Amino acid sequence: MTEKTREQQLLQVFVTLADTLVADFDIVELLQMLVETCQSTFDVTAAAILLSGEDGLDLVASTSEESRTVELMVLASEEGPCLDAFHEGRAVTVPDLREGEGWAGFRAVALENGFSAVHALPMRLREQSIGALTLFESREDVLSADDVDAAQALADVATIGILQERVIRENQTVRRQLQTALDSRIIIEQAKGVVAYTHDEGMDEAFRRIRAYARETGRALTEVSRAIVAREIIV
Amino acid sequence: MSEARFAAALAALSQPHDGSGSLTEPILDVIPVTGASVSTLGDLFGSETVEASDAVIGRIDELQFDLGEGPCWDAISVGEPVLEPDLSTPIRTWSAFADALHREHEIGALFAFPVSVGSLRLGAVDLYNEEPMRLDGVAIDRLLVLSGLLGRRVLERAIRLSGDADTGISRHGRRLIHQATGFVIAQLGVSADDASQLIRAHAFAKGQSMEEVAQQILDRTLTFTVSGARIEGDA
Repeated sequence: MTEKTREQQLLQVFVTLADTLVADFDIVELLQMLVETCQSTFDVTAAAILLSGEDGLDLVASTSEESRTVELMVLASEEGPCLDAFHEGRAVTVPDLREGEGWAGFRAVALENGFSAVHALPMRLREQSIGALTLFESREDVLSADDVDAAQALADVATIGILQERVIRENQTVRRQLQTALDSRIIIEQAKGVVAYTHDEGMDEAFRRIRAYARETGRALTEVSRAIVAREIIV
Repeated sequence: MSEARFAAALAALSQPHDGSGSLTEPILDVIPVTGASVSTLGDLFGSETVEASDAVIGRIDELQFDLGEGPCWDAISVGEPVLEPDLSTPIRTWSAFADALHREHEIGALFAFPVSVGSLRLGAVDLYNEEPMRLDGVAIDRLLVLSGLLGRRVLERAIRLSGDADTGISRHGRRLIHQATGFVIAQLGVSADDASQLIRAHAFAKGQSMEEVAQQILDRTLTFTVSGARIEGDA
């Protein structure tokens, strides 16, 4: 990919992000778009977002629904670069997972997943930290400093979008809003189950099917998931 | 008078079951039979009497569980009430059960109503009368409504007895449980709440964790069907 098309692509991503940030946007949908965009734009193997809820960090969006990747992200909410990026509000890069110390559990599971490098980027606005965006690479660290900056910029736009709506209100409300996003993840998981069973397919395919339906009908992912779980629509 | 009693019974059986109130008394207030019992049947929760108003109906349950035949089994397999208004001229034949019953008790009439949650039949209400008696259409309708309410109460009881089955579940495990909940919604057409309660109650009945049961559901080795649970390898 030439430098120019990448710049164009990035620009397009910002436009899409801005478009997503309309009133009453679906946070899960926004964050899902963000991880997929990062995966395709920066050519990383996987991307995921942990969001801060009542119960600590929890996985809210991921490019892979494969259980071993999900397992890694669950572990990442307890130890590792993502948790540090969230707490310290700075980017944490692990260029080679085989080297360095600490987070033995995280490193081992990340390597088992076939990942070799990790970039964990904080999602924060001033003093307010809401989560972390993590990019996984399977080759040696190939993300340039510019790539990391661009990814951080995308994360910042998403963070501002999420916080902006509630900026006049107090902290509590932001926390509740984040919790709502994590709770809607429950409904999305249930909807994936309904669709995966109905079509006798995997969770990844089921998720794609639900998202495709949401896009085609112009409805939010969470709303479509709720309707599937309530058996109001069959997808 | 009878309307008021029925309304009171409805109210009593609509309350979440905390273990203090009786499940059979509201039935006996409405239907003038000698005794009644509520039981769970089959593989899902095991066959056991939840509550019996007297020793005779408790024994009638026990005989049916041991012999694997009798009105409660027929009620759960066809999903409809089984009525024997006069056991001296029985409509159905349960040779072993009839013999055993005859040796121990002289009973006039015996009835069984299925207890369900959504389309899943999980138990039965058994009623007996010392003298032969016929249930009229109103009585049958009322019993159908009351046994309909009992499904949720039986489920709550199983969950209450299971204690804190869902503490100590990992985030990954919770995700699996949400997805398995979706499977059960698709299998039975029940609500998300009922589906997750079924998983929890089944886990308790089997002495397994919710996470283990969820994994079996996702692996399709455990499937919920209208007449209970089908476990791979079973006939």
